Amino acid sequence: MALLEINNIEKRFGGVVAVRNVNMIVNQGERIGLIGANGAGKTTLFAIIAGNQRPTSGTITFDGERISGRRPDAVSRRGVARTFQIVRPFGELSVMENLAIGAMFGARQERSIDEAEARASEILKDVGLTDRAADFASDLTLAGRKRLEVARALATEPKLLMLDEVLAGLTPSEINEAVAMIRDLQEKYKLTVIMVEHVLRAVMQLCERIVVLHHGEKIAEGSPEQVSSDPAVIEAYLGTSKSLGTSRS
Amino acid sequence: MIRGLDKITGTLLVALFALIVLWPTFASNYEIGVGFDTMRWGALALSWVVLSGMTGYFSFGHVVFFGLGAYIVAVTWLVLPWWGGVLLSGVGAGILAIMVGYPCLRVRGPYFVILTFGVAELVKFIVINIEAGLSMSGRMLLGGPSTITLYYSMGVLAVLAFILAFWVRQSRFGAGLRAIREDEDAAETLGIPVHRYKMTAFVLSAIIPGMVGGLFVIRGAFFEPPNVFDPRVSLTMIAMAVMGGSDDPRGTVVGVIFLALLSQYLWANFPQLYAIIVGLLLVIFVLAAPDGMWGRWQAAKRRSRSMQTQDS
Amino acid sequence: MDLEVLFSGQLLIAALSTGSIYALVAVGLNLIYGTMRMLNIAHGDLAMIGAYIAFWMFTEAGISPFLSLPVSILASVLLAIVTFQFLVKPVMRSARMRDQAEANSLLIFFGLAEIIRNGSAAINTTNPRGYQYLDQVLHIGNAAITANRLSALIIALVLVIGITLFFRFTTIGLALRALIQDRTAAQIVGINLERIFLISFCLGFALAAVAGGLVSMYEQILPFMGFPYTIAAFVIIILGGLGNLTGSLAAGMLLGVLETFGIALTGPSFRSILIYGVLILVLLFRPQGLFGGRRVAAR
Repeated sequence: MALLEINNIEKRFGGVVAVRNVNMIVNQGERIGLIGANGAGKTTLFAIIAGNQRPTSGTITFDGERISGRRPDAVSRRGVARTFQIVRPFGELSVMENLAIGAMFGARQERSIDEAEARASEILKDVGLTDRAADFASDLTLAGRKRLEVARALATEPKLLMLDEVLAGLTPSEINEAVAMIRDLQEKYKLTVIMVEHVLRAVMQLCERIVVLHHGEKIAEGSPEQVSSDPAVIEAYLGTSKSLGTSRS
Repeated sequence: MIRGLDKITGTLLVALFALIVLWPTFASNYEIGVGFDTMRWGALALSWVVLSGMTGYFSFGHVVFFGLGAYIVAVTWLVLPWWGGVLLSGVGAGILAIMVGYPCLRVRGPYFVILTFGVAELVKFIVINIEAGLSMSGRMLLGGPSTITLYYSMGVLAVLAFILAFWVRQSRFGAGLRAIREDEDAAETLGIPVHRYKMTAFVLSAIIPGMVGGLFVIRGAFFEPPNVFDPRVSLTMIAMAVMGGSDDPRGTVVGVIFLALLSQYLWANFPQLYAIIVGLLLVIFVLAAPDGMWGRWQAAKRRSRSMQTQDS
Repeated sequence: MDLEVLFSGQLLIAALSTGSIYALVAVGLNLIYGTMRMLNIAHGDLAMIGAYIAFWMFTEAGISPFLSLPVSILASVLLAIVTFQFLVKPVMRSARMRDQAEANSLLIFFGLAEIIRNGSAAINTTNPRGYQYLDQVLHIGNAAITANRLSALIIALVLVIGITLFFRFTTIGLALRALIQDRTAAQIVGINLERIFLISFCLGFALAAVAGGLVSMYEQILPFMGFPYTIAAFVIIILGGLGNLTGSLAAGMLLGVLETFGIALTGPSFRSILIYGVLILVLLFRPQGLFGGRRVAAR
């Protein structure tokens, strides 16, 4: 049984169709990349899965249970965690507190603050933020905040981790570090990962399967090699030969 | 995470507790009244902090619970023993909080502020109209308990309010509330049941003010709607919490003592200027010390601690 | 209750009269809240200041309330500048403050409102004031209205429509609209935030003061008369939409109708209950306002 099933999801905002006719399956342990031009509907899809938005129609099933239309905290308790494209740390709280809160709620629902902090310490080590544990989250650099965002989501003990453009704004060496970190985290915590990304080389490296969205619809799906040579994808990203003014297609 | 008390604060609190218990033994009747009023503000401000300090949802109409509690006691004066009326006030305030909280907590920021203020005014006018309909221009509450009994009853409420505020802050529940204050949507995405938590905080913050209102009106032996639904009560609660420190109940206590003493002085000498000065102080503190006096002190402590570790 | 009254032009004219004043006050608050995202809880109290200025100038110096409007405007603009300089700018300056700007501005304006209200009570005493000016009754069709109400209605409408046009057709108006839409983007295209904030602040204060001066002709003047106007303005902004001035006009009229007809059905002491009731109902059932748009409440 698939871990996550997305069935015929459609989302309208008034007259604008953000997502249409999207079907997708994610199996336990996979690393899925979700790519597409800006405005393709990727973040909207994330929001729908996590419960931040309600779909106009269609259903989403996670671990056998229907989660579409449920509030974000209920979805989180079932084991789905997401990061935000524009990071949202709890600025006035310390890094440690940020993670501890994740551990106390989410899927883990840790009741003891000591236990929550213990788990937080563990994850802080994995993301390399141990020496910043007592700092205010707002004092971190962007790269640090991105790590915090991922770490906090991880603290909730999810089965599915959804990363929304976590690599944006990072330098090439930071990207390499991040890619390695994601791989390690996935292995250590037995995660299934869906990542929305624009940094294509990272996506090609990390993900076994890629889904391409364009104008809210899925136009391609397959391995990195398949997707990068798919004519529909190339047209979506680069345009047709006519618009480019060359004879290449 | 936020933990227990350090030795200094712990000692100070024990001393304060002892002072409260022993006060009537050496204080004059007037001074016992001052103690009663100070603890009244303490109970109110600390309750306010449980909601607004922790979640960031500023209730500008919290006097509504105080007023409703007073009304319940006034209305049941001849039917229930005084302490029964007071307990019922707490229950009534809690019920009102459930009714009001459900719609109000759906909106945030300034909308919540205006809404809570509006609800307080609405309830005030409803009560005024009910009393007018019953041809009551005020109710006498004769034959109440002694000043000392009232003093210690208020003391119980004040101590309870402190314990509540303190416990909330330290608990998992409180951590959730603070996350809501920081970023409600991110908090919900992390699994915090924001609606349930906000409602709980709202109801918890209402019960003690209800009982405080009951005791207040017993002491004055007279009930009059504009008096107990006076928006200046909300202003004072907020000012005390803000000036002392609305994140930490210990700070709130500082703010209460500061403003209560100041108020005594102002009421005795310049009653007209009272609200003006409190308003002015509120503005100055928000601009100069938004974390309150306590927050300022804590920040200074933290800075000196980090400087120490830098040196070593 | 005379049902005939309900359908007469009488109530309609009264509703227009109330609604136009509400719209005037709301437009001012909408400007300030729309551009600065600060809720000026003291807004209605500025109307109170305008009312007292008109009152004192008329009773002490015999100056017509129309002629004392410029004085009210001047006073409110001065107050706006002082408030902006000492209360608003500090909140917007420091980075830490900006995060808490909304919360802090609520407290600051609350304090300001208390200072204004109680200061007024100290200066003017809490005795209700009023004066007679232009209270001849005019007849329009089968409806009767006093000349002062009619002129207030006309002036208020002219001002609201004028501001709406200003908003739409001038550069500053465009800057204001841009600012209401997206602050960061407005900055990027070179709009001087501080100057625009100050302008909308002064304009907002002035409009409220003018409204106060107008109603002083026929309403009772009290130090605490302002708050119902603040509430009404707030309801109107929610109904009509943030930053939507035409919406404020429409919603203002609607609120005027609701209140006037509501009072006709229930009684004048229910005025406050009505306004607060509408506020609560709107926030419960139609938080996105009449025209949709920016969502105010959770789903």
